[in-house]
Amino acid sequence: MSGILIDPGKCIACRACEVACEREHGRSFITVFEFESSAVPLNCRHCEKAPCIDACPTGALFRDKDGAVMVDVKKCIGCDMCLLACPFGIPEIAGKVMVKCDLCPERRAEGKLPLCVQTCPTGALSYVEPNEFSAGRRKAYAERLALRRAENAPGL
Amino acid sequence: MKVPVVCPYCGVGCRLYIERTPSGYRLDYADDVPGIPNENGSLCPKGNAVLDLLSKDRLRKPLKAKEEGKFVEVSWDEAIREVTERLREIAKDDPNGLMFFGSAKTYNEPNYLVQKLARMLGTNNIDHCARLCHSSTVAGLKAVFGAGAMTNTYRDIERADVIMIWGHNYAETHPVGFRYVIKAKERGAKVIVVDPRYTRTAWFSDIFLQPYPGTDIALANGLMHVIIKHGLYDEEFVERRTVGFQELKKTVEKYTPERVEEITGVPAELIEEAAVTFAKAENAVVTWAMGLTQSVHGYDNVRAVATLIAITGHIGKPGNGASPMRGQNNVQGACDLGVLPNVFPGYQAVTDEEKRRFFEEFWGVELSGEVGLTTVEATHEALKGRLKAYYIVGENPVISEANSRNVVKALRKLEFLVVQDIFPTETVRLADIFLPATSMLENDGSLTNTERRVQWSFKALKPPGEARPDWWIVSEVGKALGFTGNGPKGFGYRSAEDVLREINACTPQYRGITPERLKSNLAGIHWPCPSEEHPGTSLLYTESFLTPDGRAHLASVEHRPPAETPDDEYPLILTTTRYVGHFHTLTMTGRSELLRKRWREPFLEVNPSDARRFGLEDNGWVLIETRRGRYVARVKVTKAVKPGVVAIPWHWGANVLTNDALDPVSKIPDTKACACRVKPVGEAEARRILEELRAEGVVA
Repeated sequence: MSGILIDPGKCIACRACEVACEREHGRSFITVFEFESSAVPLNCRHCEKAPCIDACPTGALFRDKDGAVMVDVKKCIGCDMCLLACPFGIPEIAGKVMVKCDLCPERRAEGKLPLCVQTCPTGALSYVEPNEFSAGRRKAYAERLALRRAENAPGL
Repeated sequence: MKVPVVCPYCGVGCRLYIERTPSGYRLDYADDVPGIPNENGSLCPKGNAVLDLLSKDRLRKPLKAKEEGKFVEVSWDEAIREVTERLREIAKDDPNGLMFFGSAKTYNEPNYLVQKLARMLGTNNIDHCARLCHSSTVAGLKAVFGAGAMTNTYRDIERADVIMIWGHNYAETHPVGFRYVIKAKERGAKVIVVDPRYTRTAWFSDIFLQPYPGTDIALANGLMHVIIKHGLYDEEFVERRTVGFQELKKTVEKYTPERVEEITGVPAELIEEAAVTFAKAENAVVTWAMGLTQSVHGYDNVRAVATLIAITGHIGKPGNGASPMRGQNNVQGACDLGVLPNVFPGYQAVTDEEKRRFFEEFWGVELSGEVGLTTVEATHEALKGRLKAYYIVGENPVISEANSRNVVKALRKLEFLVVQDIFPTETVRLADIFLPATSMLENDGSLTNTERRVQWSFKALKPPGEARPDWWIVSEVGKALGFTGNGPKGFGYRSAEDVLREINACTPQYRGITPERLKSNLAGIHWPCPSEEHPGTSLLYTESFLTPDGRAHLASVEHRPPAETPDDEYPLILTTTRYVGHFHTLTMTGRSELLRKRWREPFLEVNPSDARRFGLEDNGWVLIETRRGRYVARVKVTKAVKPGVVAIPWHWGANVLTNDALDPVSKIPDTKACACRVKPVGEAEARRILEELRAEGVVA
C-alpha cells in the first residue's frame, strides 16, 4: 500500500501542510517541528504492523481498503490505549474520542493525493509505495555516482 | 464551476482554483494545468489561506472622514465628486502638488490607468512599493544589462549546477519557487547562500557566507578578486560581450580575501571556495532579494553582483542568469506599466522626447518631461508642505516604509489623502476619502510574476457591498476629471480587457500579450512578446544585451559602510526579516486565523553572547531603540545571527526603527542595516509601550 513518506531533508518548515490540513479537517493532523538547522513534519505513519490497532480494546481501529489506519468513532471509548502504544505520539483525544490522520479518504476515492502531500511546495511529502520509493532512491544514488565518474573521465 | 485565479500573495504567481459550493467557497489545487510556475498545483501556507481574505472587516462602502479616523458612509457619486474636486483644485496651481501610488497588489490594468491619470494631470509624481524592494535591482540591472528584470525563469534555476542565493531567504519568502532549488540539489547542484542570518534557506547550503549587513560590495569584489586572480573568468565572453573589464580588474585587485574577511567577517578560505565553485560551474544562477537591495548603496550592490555574473559568463544560456525575486504578485507588472516616476509603460523614459511625443499623441494631452517624485521623496516633500495630495491605491506605507513615524507625520500634513483599498489599514485611518476596492479574487485582470510571466486571473468571488474593481474606480475618477475622449484619449473603459488592449498598443514588451491569448493559455506568456504570433521570451540576452551598445557594462564599485554603523550609544546592527506565514504589512495575512495562530508575534533574534551581554532572556521582552524610534518584542536567543547583529520581522511595524537614508540612484531606503541598542523590559512595560505605538498608529 502507499503511505506518506517524509523526507526531512527537503522540509523548509513552511507549514503549508498544517494549514491545508486544518483548513480541511478543522484541526491539523500533521505537525512540523522546527530545529536550528532542519525541520521534521510528522503525521500518522499508518504502520504495517500498527501497535495502535493491537492495543485497541474495542476494535475501533481498523484498516480501510487502501491500508490506511482509521478510527470508528462509534466504537472508540477514549481509553488512551492507542495513545500509549503509538511510538510517534500521534493519537490525540478530542472531546471523548481519538482523532488522527485519515489520509483524506474522499480525495483518495477520487484518485487524488492526500491534501498535505498535494500542497507541499518542496516535495518533502510524497504518497508512494515504500518499495517504489526506495527503488527510485537507489537509482538516483547510482546515477549520481555514475555522473561523478563521467565528469572525471578524460575521454568524454 | 472551478474558476482559475492567480494567488494574491508573492511573486511566484501560483495558480489555484476557487470553487463555489452550496456551503460557500472552497480552494482546489491547479494540479491539472501544465506549465504553471507552481507545478502540480502546490501552494505555501499563505496560498492555502487565500479564502480567509473573505474576512468580515472588509470595507464595503465609500467613506468620508469627519475627523481623523472617524468616517461616514457616502455614495460613490459623492466620493468621486469629492476626489475630483480636490485633485482638480490642487492640480490647477501646480500638478506636482499631487502624488500617486500604484500598487504591486493589483492587476496590470489599474496600474496602467493610475499612471495614465497622473500623467494626464500633468505630473510624473507616480510610484509604488517597488521603490522599497527592488528599485535598486531595476536601476542596477538596467545599468549593467540594459533592462531591470529577471533574465531567466524558475526552470533555469532547476537546471543550474551552482545556485548562489544572496540576501534572500528564498525558502521562507518564495516557498513554492524554492522547489526548483531543491530539485537542482537532488540532481547534484551546489548551493551557496550569502546571508547575515543562518536562515532556513541556509539549511540547504553547501557553502554558507555570513557577512555583516551592508557589506555586500566588499564580498562581491572579494569573489571577483579570486576569480580574476585564478583566471577563472570567461575570457571569451568578457572580450566579446562586455566593456569595462580592465577597470574592474584594477578595482577588485585591492579586495584580497584577507581584507574582505576584515570588512565582512566571512573567512577568507570560504570566499576562495565560493568564488572557485561559482566560476567553475558549467551553469550557474544568482538569486537575490531585499538583503541585497534595501541598502543605501543598493544600486551598487546589484551592479557588483551583476558584474560577477557577467565576468563568469553565467548569463544568456539555459540554466544561467540573474534572478531577482519579486515579493509581491505584481511588482513586475506595476514596473512594466510605468508606475514609476521616470518612465512611461515599457520603460520608455519620460525625458526622451520621442517617447513623450508618442504618448502625447496617444493620450491626446501635453505631458511633463520632468522626472517625478519617488515614495520616500514624496514623504520628505509632504513634510516640507510642498506636496498637497496623495492618491494611494492598495498600499500601506505607514507600516511598509522606513522610519514610519515620519511617514505618519507626512500623511497628516497633507491637505488631501485618498486611499483605495480593501481593508481598514493603518494608512486608511489618516485618509480623507476611502474608496472600497475589490480584492484580486473578486475581479479579473492580468498580472506579471517574477519570471516575467503574464497570467490572466478570473473573477471567482462576489465582491462585498459596493466594493468596485480598481480599474473601474480609476476610470470613474478619470472621466469625472474631464478625460472623456475616445479610446486611449479618455477613460471610457467597459472592462479590464479594454485596458489590456490599450496596453498592447503602447507597451512594446506586451504587444502580443492580448486578453484572448492569456485567457486561453493559463500558464501565461513571458514578455517580451512583440507580436500576437510570438510565443514569448523566457530567456533574455542570448545574443546581446539591451544596453545601447549591446554589451554588459561591468561596474567597478568600492565598498562603503551602511548609512549608520554601530557606536558606543547604539552598539548593535539591526536587520529586518520576514516570516513564511505572513505577508508584508499583515493587511491580508493578519486576518487569517490559520496563519495568525502559527505566526503570532515578532521575535528579535539575538546571538547567545549578546543575550548575555545585555541581560536578555529567551522569550523575555526586549526594548529596541534606534535614532528614529523604539519598539518592543520577545527575544529568541539563537546562533542564527552573529554576535553584534540582531534581526526582527517587520510585519508588525518594526519600521519605526529603520533608517530612511536613501540610495542616491534608486532612492531605496537603508532598511536592512541600522544601529540599535537593546535592553530587557518587563511584560507590563512592554505592553504599555506597544499600546502607545498603537495609539500613534505605527504598529499593527
